[in-house]
Amino acid sequence: MRVGAAVLRPYTLTLMFFLLHLMSVIAIALPAQLGYTFVFGRGKILHFGPIGVSVVAAYGTFLTLNATGSFILGLCIGVLMAILFSLLFAWLSFRLDPDGLGVMSIAVYLTLFTIVLNWSELTRGALGLPRIPRLPFAESALSFTIVTSTICIAWVLFFLWLDRTKLARQVSALAEGEWYAKAMGISRVRAHLIAFLILGLTLASDNFFYAQYYHLLHPSDYYFPAFVSLLMITVAGKPGSTAGAIVATILLTVLKEGVRFLPFPTEVLGPLRLMLFGIILLAAVWIQRDTLFPKKRTI
Amino acid sequence: MAGGLALVYGVLGIFNLALGQLALVGGYGTWWLHASGIPLFPSLIGGMVIGTIVTWLTFEIAVAPFYRRDARIPLVTTIAWSMILDAAILLSFEERPRSILPGSKHFLPFDAVRINVEQIILIICTLAFVCGVAWVLHATPFGRKVRATVQHADAARSLGISSSLLHRIVFIGSGILAACGGIYIGIDQNLTPTLAFPVTIKAYAAVIAGGKDNFWGTILAAYVIAMIEQFAVGTPWWFGNYISAGYQSVVALLFIIIVLLIKPTGLFSKTMRTT
Repeated sequence: MRVGAAVLRPYTLTLMFFLLHLMSVIAIALPAQLGYTFVFGRGKILHFGPIGVSVVAAYGTFLTLNATGSFILGLCIGVLMAILFSLLFAWLSFRLDPDGLGVMSIAVYLTLFTIVLNWSELTRGALGLPRIPRLPFAESALSFTIVTSTICIAWVLFFLWLDRTKLARQVSALAEGEWYAKAMGISRVRAHLIAFLILGLTLASDNFFYAQYYHLLHPSDYYFPAFVSLLMITVAGKPGSTAGAIVATILLTVLKEGVRFLPFPTEVLGPLRLMLFGIILLAAVWIQRDTLFPKKRTI
Repeated sequence: MAGGLALVYGVLGIFNLALGQLALVGGYGTWWLHASGIPLFPSLIGGMVIGTIVTWLTFEIAVAPFYRRDARIPLVTTIAWSMILDAAILLSFEERPRSILPGSKHFLPFDAVRINVEQIILIICTLAFVCGVAWVLHATPFGRKVRATVQHADAARSLGISSSLLHRIVFIGSGILAACGGIYIGIDQNLTPTLAFPVTIKAYAAVIAGGKDNFWGTILAAYVIAMIEQFAVGTPWWFGNYISAGYQSVVALLFIIIVLLIKPTGLFSKTMRTT
């Protein structure tokens, strides 16, 4: 194949496509990862249902896109769904104890996922939605990588800015000592609501590109291990650290994608990847046990 | 299973999200032993022993190093451990449904209906288990220690109750109950690796709806959830229409979510004694 003036050999071409694939996957996943790092890592909010928001945002986006052919309308509906369900999770977090929220957010996720899976007249159930088109200006692998990377960089800059804002300090203060923070005039409802909404927007962004990349929206991409991957990267990258989350996302995505080259049959590779994630998460918690839920400072 | 969880929450103050996988380990262990030619009763005992060993490992690996540091950490570590167990189950038993007693259901004709004998035995066993736990909790020194720790852990420790031993015993006890639950599923229905999380979440929904550390509230809430699940699907609702079986678990979960939004402390929460 001729690219510019150079003639590329097949293995060079394969490597180039694999690198583009890695860049796209990282660029798609990173915004949601940073959003979850902000909510769980910094805010210590035990929100275990982000994949529930993802699934409704993704189906909202692409069912609208299939019905109207408009990417803008699809994105708007996806964002709207993400905002609505983020508000639902935020409401739950205000009503329940932290650990109760952890369990009930999984319950809400399972409820949403079961509805999507069983409402086959609308969602095609376990078959998923095939032939998802890409944005007209991002149809090739290279242009798609450029678009997703640009969006990703914008999100990274936003989170680096967010880390220096009053909101981030308020979220940290609430995580460290809710009553002390409230006594200092910090509104938990306002701070957590914004945190949940930011996560919802990153999830909508993530899902807008994910199905486009594979030309397929499939429910199996929203099984519980998808959340474990999110949790694993947040913990491994030092909870609450944007830079740590970026490094962990890059390293663990490379590892996740690299596992496919192991010489095992596909029915073994899936469970093997699951086991690897479990071990990494357990090891990451062990290493980060002092920063994951740090002891309250005392005088 | 939910009753065991209520005890674990009351005594240790933690949630074990690998519970469904522990149930499956008990069920699959029994299936494997029985399929290898061992008679049913020794297989049941073997399945419970396997469940007990894996529960003990769960405690030592995913709970003991973390729960004294912060009670929220086991919520994350047990998710990690559940992934490891899920993978081990998938690698060992594949995704195919497995039944401990395939094709050997016995029915008793009773007027116009037929009653499944296995289900009657399971219901009697469950009642016997609940009565056994009630007797242990209310009529033995061990039960008094458990109740004292649930009521006030620090006061119980100051009275000489060894908390680390009690924690291990209660956690492993909940694992044995979970293994029994898995065996029940394997006898009454089929075991599949995807069952684990819905089982865990439903059991915890019962614990939260029943009032977290309230054992009897949890048992009652578990029955309420099961009833809602069964009646929601088997009853004609609007213009003779039925709710699809696929939504069975959704109905119960929605009920719990609504209950918790109205009464976040659960239906049967108790107020703790204070001085």
